[in-house]
Amino acid sequence: MGEQEQTYKIRKFLEMEKLGLENDEDMMVPFIFYCTTCYRCQDNCPQDVEIVDAVLQIREDAVHKGKMLESHKRVAQMLIEHGHAVPNNSAGKEKRKKLGLNEMPPTVQGSDKGLKEVRTLLELTGFNKLVAGEQCKDTVNEAGVSVKNADYDNSIAEEST
Amino acid sequence: MSELSLFLGCVAPNRYPGIEAATKKAFSKLDIELDELDGASCCPAPGVFKSFDKVTWLTLASRNLALSEELNDDILTICNGCYSTLKDANDELKSNSNLKETVNKNLTETGHNFKGCHDVRHIIEYLSQEVGAEKIREQVSDPLDIKVAVHYGCHLIQPLKESGSELVKDSVTFFDELVEATGASSVDYKDKMLCCGAGGGARTAILDATLKMTDKKLQNMKDADVDCIVNACPFCHLQFDSGQKDVNSKYHKQYEIPVLHYTQLLGLAMGFSPEELGVDMNVTGTDSLIEKIK
Repeated sequence: MGEQEQTYKIRKFLEMEKLGLENDEDMMVPFIFYCTTCYRCQDNCPQDVEIVDAVLQIREDAVHKGKMLESHKRVAQMLIEHGHAVPNNSAGKEKRKKLGLNEMPPTVQGSDKGLKEVRTLLELTGFNKLVAGEQCKDTVNEAGVSVKNADYDNSIAEEST
Repeated sequence: MSELSLFLGCVAPNRYPGIEAATKKAFSKLDIELDELDGASCCPAPGVFKSFDKVTWLTLASRNLALSEELNDDILTICNGCYSTLKDANDELKSNSNLKETVNKNLTETGHNFKGCHDVRHIIEYLSQEVGAEKIREQVSDPLDIKVAVHYGCHLIQPLKESGSELVKDSVTFFDELVEATGASSVDYKDKMLCCGAGGGARTAILDATLKMTDKKLQNMKDADVDCIVNACPFCHLQFDSGQKDVNSKYHKQYEIPVLHYTQLLGLAMGFSPEELGVDMNVTGTDSLIEKIK
């Protein structure tokens, strides 16, 4: 992602974390969420630094401090509501019917018992409370890239895991 | 008796059900039975949920793994993200008894228990190792005379690397071999192992930047003059197919590269029609490809 977004410098975030600057610097969010976890940097690191694993840990710490993107919060709500980050919709049902498949796949979406189990687990781990917390500012970053851009509608949010 | 349960994930059954249909048809032709994994949820997706709360991620993954264990099956994924989550969670829970105990404490509240007695397989890795390109070639009734850009996807490669698989030790060719078994040519192209752009929750956080990566990859594929892209992951599939339309409108490009999941390519080579495999249900048109293989 560094090749596409010049402001995204993965080493900077690792250094900031190491120096204990992450609390002061809102700029780490949303940048820490830009990583596609492709492992290219980790694979090529001459010092074998587990960069992606470190980024995931920094992200988890940020989320636990209430710094979560609105867009990610919506994906989390999908999971709580449907048991899927990308739930079925009318277009999906129509396609399934044409293919001779049941309208609903044999997943948690077609199983009240299964959905209840998933919700129980999300309650027990505290996930529901975690993702309902206060959100950080995530509208426009310093590169002027709108995170909640005009065409960022719910259908994209649904398909964005 | 089946030894595999099919884990559908989210994007395949709900956005690209042709991939689900193609998987079932191709496996039926290969005479490999697949159990349905009733009540399975999101894997949950590694880029987002693992970043939010690792214990939640492990707990939901362990429920999916337990459902498959209850059928006495290994679990088969058709998605790289699901593979990454389920394989990593399975390996971690098998090797860390404290974590396993933490997860099972919650899981027993729902009547399940993770034992850690089965494996997680990705369909490409499974076909390569358990079936083999030669046996697949024997099932091909309609060899495909087309040029293909193979996209492995990051989370097919990474879990294999972490488990020390021979498939990724030196040059990585196992997916290309399966593609060529259908009669197609896997064409080399610049930066073939580059990410599609979508993973890690980035598509959600910063769609525009992910599309720049997709644009770069599409250009490299176009330069290689391919007839279609073949992937192993519904989320990469979504980024190349639906994302291609976004790239065209945002960056004034005119890409028209059809996108197929491997199971759809295999289904076509086995004689199933494009309609039976949902090849005609993509956002980006597939008519040029369908015309070429007639």
